[in-house]
Amino acid sequence: MDDSAKQLLRLIIRRIPSNKLYSTLRKWEHLSKKQFESLDFTQPKWLICDNLLSLCEENDLSAKHVTELELIHRIEQPTQGAWHVCQLIDAQEEALTSDLLQFRESFKLHLKGLISHVAVKIKKHEDDAIWIRIAWGDNFTKPNHLKPTYVVHHLQTPYVFLSGLNVKHKPLLHQALVLATHHESIKDVHLSGRCLTALRDLLMRQYKQVFPVKHPRPLQERSPLLTHPNIENEHAKHAENRLQMASEVFGDGTLPKLETALYKLETRYRGKERGTMGAREEPFRGVVRFSSSNILESLKYCTSSGMAAAPVTPLLSSIVQKGRNYFVITDKGPGLSQTPGPKV
Amino acid sequence: MVDLKPLKREEWRTPVECLKEGVLSHLNVLEMEALRLSRKQQLSLQQQSRVDDLRIMVEKLRAQRDHLKARAQSTLSLQQLKAMVGQRKEVCDDDADGDEEGHSESLQLHLSLLMAKRAQVKDLLQGHHLIGGYDVTEASRGKGVCVSIATAFQGHYLETYNLELDVARTVRISRHNIPPFIPLEKLAQDNLQTDLREFLGTLSKHLNAFAGRRQQVCLIQEVLKGSVEVMESNALFNMVVLMCTEPGQKGTAVLCTLEYSDLTRFLPTKVVIESEDKTLPTTPKWKEHQSLLLETPAHTVLQALKRKGQIV
Repeated sequence: MDDSAKQLLRLIIRRIPSNKLYSTLRKWEHLSKKQFESLDFTQPKWLICDNLLSLCEENDLSAKHVTELELIHRIEQPTQGAWHVCQLIDAQEEALTSDLLQFRESFKLHLKGLISHVAVKIKKHEDDAIWIRIAWGDNFTKPNHLKPTYVVHHLQTPYVFLSGLNVKHKPLLHQALVLATHHESIKDVHLSGRCLTALRDLLMRQYKQVFPVKHPRPLQERSPLLTHPNIENEHAKHAENRLQMASEVFGDGTLPKLETALYKLETRYRGKERGTMGAREEPFRGVVRFSSSNILESLKYCTSSGMAAAPVTPLLSSIVQKGRNYFVITDKGPGLSQTPGPKV
Repeated sequence: MVDLKPLKREEWRTPVECLKEGVLSHLNVLEMEALRLSRKQQLSLQQQSRVDDLRIMVEKLRAQRDHLKARAQSTLSLQQLKAMVGQRKEVCDDDADGDEEGHSESLQLHLSLLMAKRAQVKDLLQGHHLIGGYDVTEASRGKGVCVSIATAFQGHYLETYNLELDVARTVRISRHNIPPFIPLEKLAQDNLQTDLREFLGTLSKHLNAFAGRRQQVCLIQEVLKGSVEVMESNALFNMVVLMCTEPGQKGTAVLCTLEYSDLTRFLPTKVVIESEDKTLPTTPKWKEHQSLLLETPAHTVLQALKRKGQIV
């Protein structure tokens, strides 16, 4: 075990919270049962780390094994860091039958063909997601394990989730992904957020959607504050209507947790008096940014409580229906701009 | 009516008082007492019988009311139904006009009501067939429709998938909850504009086959726990690797790889049997198992094999 590997292990152990240390190390299958039991988790972290280092020396583990520990920790903490999503386009026949082994080999082969110094670690998570950790180097330096890129992909689906990807490495990774997954190309879908599971649920439609049904849901039991039965009845109907509409647009139950929605405006002033405003050649540029701990819940509440006008504007409903949270609005198109989003 | 005046205080004496005044007067008092009691009894009897009479009357009136109510209701619904079932007009009219009360009339009424109902259900069924047997609801205030596609495997209902179609100009899918690995886009390209029924039909086949394949894997994991292990499967469940063990001292592990290249079917198109013992897959026994797996759902085959002791 060289010094850089030791340093990396120390760093990783420092990053893992004490209460998670036991469960994370348990999943790391490079210590024998006896060795694992010899570790005392009531000790301070630095002491555990020293013991762990000597065990690693004993087992002759290398940096490769240490990075696996980090990958396990990262899988346990999917809300760390920002994720953004890409979509693979035009699947070939083979895409439907590719399995983990083929993918692993093909991806490593293609990436290493593009760049010589790169360390790749691939692991399949319980929910069939493939987690890839890539440490990049360049022609003259070793892979930098301190700033790895994480990629999550579910085979047979067109979506790829990326975190910590440098602009310089983007084309390399894209090419390797496209070739390994048997697709024609890849594009950014302008969806990002901190919660990986939320992004996945939104795109794979794993959240509870509401569709119009023949038998409307019965009215919920309301508080017995009856002023006038007819007024109450009317209000209840409206409220129910609004809730149904909001649920049809945004979904029901726990909604995927997105933090932001960003709209870039490039519009012209369209008033009748052509004063200083109308004479401008340049379009107005503006940025509208919505942020909340759960933006979809907030927008749904605005609609269901009657604060926002119903029916919901396509600008807001596109977040869920198109699965993106970054839009550019220009004057040319009647509605949304032509920047590509994921196909529904 | 018998009047029952209370006895005057001086007449109404206790027997002890009476004893003082001699036997005759005592008897007199007793007689009066007896008379009074008998009157009281008679009165209460009369009252009781009157209450009974009234009760019967109420029952009668109530029955009459119910009868009239039922008649009014059936005449009303008949009038509504008459427009719908033209060919049964005659029968309905007879019932509505027939004034004589009686058992036969109410029977006929009932019969014609049932017939009308049957015709109505038939119409609905025909309509249902016309739209291809899918549950279709109006959506986005008349601009679209929402189609529900239910999936089932071996008589058990599984998930229902929904598809909202925008039909304002060209048919377009506005939203849906179909999993991303179902080739919806390709199916839409093929048939969505030209033949909606065909499109929904193939989509339904894909979804049902997917649900069926997934259900088989679930059943294997559930029913054959500890005997057959699912080693590998994917999101689309079109590649499933199962591991089972031959009985005996050696306990040779056997890998069955099921490949489903026809995504509209829940039965595999290719089954590969592998084992450490190279001769095992070529034995007639395993050849037979292989062909069974091609024709019957995997969980049924494996369950049968386990029952027969062919696998552990």
